[in-house]
Amino acid sequence: MTILRRRRARATRPLSAAERFRAVLSDERVVDSTLERRVYSRDGSIEFGDAGLVVLPESTEEVVACVRLANELGLDIVPRGSGTGLAGGAVPLDGSLVIALSRMTRVLEVDRDVPCAWVEPGVLNLDISTAVAHLGLHYAPDPSSQAACSIGGNVGTNAGGPHCLSYGVTAQHVLAVEVVLADGEVLRLGGTAPDPPGYDLRGMVVGSEGTLGIVTATCVRLTRNPAHVRTLLIDFPTIRSASDAVSGIIAGGVVPAAIELMDRATTNAVEQFVRADLPIDSAAVLIVEVDGDEAAVASQAESAARIASEAGALAVRTAQDERQRALWWKARKSAFGAVARIAPNYFLHDCVVPRTHLAEILETIGQIGARHDLQILNVFHAGDGNLHPLIAFDLRDAEQLERVRRAGDEIVEACLAAGGSLSGEHGVGIEKRDFMRLAFGPLDLDAQARARDAFDPVGRMNPHKILPEGSRCAEAVPPSVARRDVG
Amino acid sequence: MSALAPESIDDLAATLADASALTRTVRVEGGGTRSRRGRPHEPDAVLSTSALAGVVDYEPADMTVTVRAGTAVELLQHELEAHGQAWPAADTRPGSTVGGILATGASGLSRLRYGPVRDSLLEVVIVTGDGRRVAAGARTVKSVAGYDLPRLMVGADGTLGVIAQVTLRLWPLPTSSGWSRTEGTLTELTELAERWVGHPSRPLAVAVTPDALWVHAGGEELPEGLEHVPSGPARPNGGGSVQMGVPPPALAAALSRLAADDRDFRAQAGVGVIEVAVDDAGDVATTRALATSLGGHAIVIDGPPELREDPFGPIPPGVEIMRRLRDQFDPAGIVNPGCVPWDPHS
Repeated sequence: MTILRRRRARATRPLSAAERFRAVLSDERVVDSTLERRVYSRDGSIEFGDAGLVVLPESTEEVVACVRLANELGLDIVPRGSGTGLAGGAVPLDGSLVIALSRMTRVLEVDRDVPCAWVEPGVLNLDISTAVAHLGLHYAPDPSSQAACSIGGNVGTNAGGPHCLSYGVTAQHVLAVEVVLADGEVLRLGGTAPDPPGYDLRGMVVGSEGTLGIVTATCVRLTRNPAHVRTLLIDFPTIRSASDAVSGIIAGGVVPAAIELMDRATTNAVEQFVRADLPIDSAAVLIVEVDGDEAAVASQAESAARIASEAGALAVRTAQDERQRALWWKARKSAFGAVARIAPNYFLHDCVVPRTHLAEILETIGQIGARHDLQILNVFHAGDGNLHPLIAFDLRDAEQLERVRRAGDEIVEACLAAGGSLSGEHGVGIEKRDFMRLAFGPLDLDAQARARDAFDPVGRMNPHKILPEGSRCAEAVPPSVARRDVG
Repeated sequence: MSALAPESIDDLAATLADASALTRTVRVEGGGTRSRRGRPHEPDAVLSTSALAGVVDYEPADMTVTVRAGTAVELLQHELEAHGQAWPAADTRPGSTVGGILATGASGLSRLRYGPVRDSLLEVVIVTGDGRRVAAGARTVKSVAGYDLPRLMVGADGTLGVIAQVTLRLWPLPTSSGWSRTEGTLTELTELAERWVGHPSRPLAVAVTPDALWVHAGGEELPEGLEHVPSGPARPNGGGSVQMGVPPPALAAALSRLAADDRDFRAQAGVGVIEVAVDDAGDVATTRALATSLGGHAIVIDGPPELREDPFGPIPPGVEIMRRLRDQFDPAGIVNPGCVPWDPHS
C-alpha cells in the first residue's frame, strides 16, 4: 500500500527546478537555501538582488547543460565570477538562475612561445601571473582586487588596473574566448593567429558583462616581465600640482607603466594598517612606475621626476628594493578596503575624463562632497584620467544614502560634461545603467541593443544590465523585458 | 556609375537613408588605396568619404585626436608630428584615409609594440546602411560604457555602416628611431627575429623578408650587428596580396615553406602576420592551405577580381551572429553588397 502510494506520488508530482538541476550536476552544486542564496544576491556594489537557484558547474559541458535547462524552464541567467564587481553586473534580479563559475579554476594550457594561456573563468587574476612567473611572464591587467577577482569577471567588465596605462586593458590581452550562448551553442571566438576573417565578435564579448553569453574559457596574452622597473613615490602640496604633474608627464612624451594618485584622506586611511611610510601630511601622492631596458628606465624616471618637481613636488623617492616597491603597491591596492576605517560602506564611480581636465574635475568633486556633507576620497589611475571618487558612508543611514546617490549623480554629470566617460573599467551593470542616457542618444542605445540581440535574440542572458529600459527604438520588445519591469 | 560625396555626417545619413529606401547599392571608398578587397561586387554608385575630412578636435596633452573619416592620413600625421605625436598602430600609405585604414583593419608594422589598429579606436561615429547616425565609445583613453562597437567596426569593411568620425589614441613619437637590417639564411633570420622580439629594448617592429631581417628600434643606440637603412621593408611584389595570420611560434615553419616555393613575403615576427605576394588563384589556394595547416588563415587583401572569388576562406564560428549584425546595421544590404560571404542579401 505504502509502496503504491509513493509510486503514484512520484508519477504525478513534477520534479522541481532544483531537482532537475541536481540531476544535471550533483546535490551539493545546486544551492537553494534562502540563506545561501542571499550571498549570491549581491556583488561588490551596494545593490541588492534576488537570486533564484544558484548552480556551480565545473566544465563547459555542465554550463551548456545548465543553460539548456534554464531555457526549458524559462529562467533568466546571471553568470557570476568572484562577485567583486562594483556596478551590480552580477546581481540577479527577480529570481534569475545564477551560474557561478567559481569552481572552474583550472589553468588549461600555457604556451610559452606565443606566449599565452588558456584558463577557466574562475581562475583568479593574480593566480595567472603566479602560474607563469617561472617563465618570466605575467598577465598585465592588474585590478586592485586581483587577488580576489576572477578572469571571467575581468573579461566581463573589460577590467583595467594601474598598469593598463601602457599595457592596455583586458580587451587587449584576450586573444580568444570560448563562450556558451543563450541557446547552449558553444563558440570559440578569436585565436592566437592574428586578424581572423569576420567581425571581431571576441572584442564584443569582452566588456559585455555576461549579457551575450557565458565565457567558459579565455586565452589570455602573457607579457614578458620587463628587464628593469623603477618606482617613484612623489608627494605634492596640493591636488592641483599633482594633477599638473600627471598631465605634464604624459604630455612630455613619456608614457610610464603606471601613474596612480592618492589624496591625503586615502594615504591616511591606508597608512594606518599598511605602514608603508607614506607622506601622510601631503595633499597628494603619485606612484609613478617606469619599465623597459636600463637606458629607457633611467631616462623616463629622470624625466618624470623633473616634470614633477617643476609642477611643485615636495619630494621624489625611489623604491630602493622590491620589498619597498611591493609595499607601495600594497598601499595603493588596499585603498578601497582601508575606507572601512572611516565608514562601514563606500560608494564609488569610475568615470574617466580627458587627462587635461583632471585638476578641474577633482576640484568639482571636492565641492560636490562639501555641498552634500560627505567625505570623498580620491585614489585613481591618474595617467588614464580614470577617477575613483570614493564616498565613505553608512548604508544603514537612509538619509545619508540618499545624499550619497545625489552626489554620485552630480559627479557623473560633471565628468560627462567635461567630455568624459561614465565608466573606465568597472562596467555599467545596474548601478550605472540609467546614466547611459546621459552619455548616449536614443539611436546610439538602439544600436547597442541591436548588437546585443544579435548574440542573444531572446534576451535571457543577464537581462536588465548595461542598457536602460526602452533602449530599443523599435516596437518589438524582447520577451524578457516585456515580462516585467524592474526599473 | 554615379559618384556620391557627402560633405557632412548629416549629408551622409541622408544619402544612405535615400539609398536604402530605393535599394540603391553603394561601394564606400576612402582614398582608394585598399579598394581591391572582399568579394567582387558591382554597386550602383560609389560613395566617397573624401569630402568628409578634417580634424575636429585635437588636444595634444590628452593624446587623443578626433577626425572626420575621410581625412588623408598624411595630413593627420603631419599635424601630429608637429606636436611630437603619432598614430603608430596604423598602416599608413600615401593616399589612404583614416576611415579606410580602420574599415579595413590595416595595422602597421609597429603593431609589435603598439598593438593592432583596432586597439587605437576610442570613439566612433558611424552611419548605418539605413541612415542612422550612431556614436559609440568615448573620447577618453579608457571606457567601458556600453558594448564595444568601435572594435566591431574595425575591419568590417563598411558592412556594418560607414565610419564617419573617429577618436584615436595617440602615442609620443620615439625620441629617435630608425630601421636597421641584416642579411642571412632564412633559418638565421628567423632565429635572430625571435631574439629581437624578446629584446629588453622593445623594438617597434621586427620584420623578415626572404633575404633580410629588419628591426625598427626606438632607442638611442643602433641595434648591434645590424646596418642602418633609411626605410623599412617594402610590401611583397605581385599581382595581388594575401595576408596570412598564423600563431607567432609557427612563423618560422610558414616562412621556410614560402621560401621553398620561391614566394615573396613580408612577415611580422612576434605578431604572426605574413603578407604574401600572389599571382593567381592557385597561389591563393596554396597559401591558404599552408596557413590552415599551421592553425591560421589567409585573406586576400588586394588583387584583381579573379583572385577574390573566395577572399576569406573558411569563416570562423559565429557566422549566424555576423549575419544578424549585418542585417541590423544595414537592413537593406546596400553598403558594399556581397563583399562579405555572410551577407544575408547575397
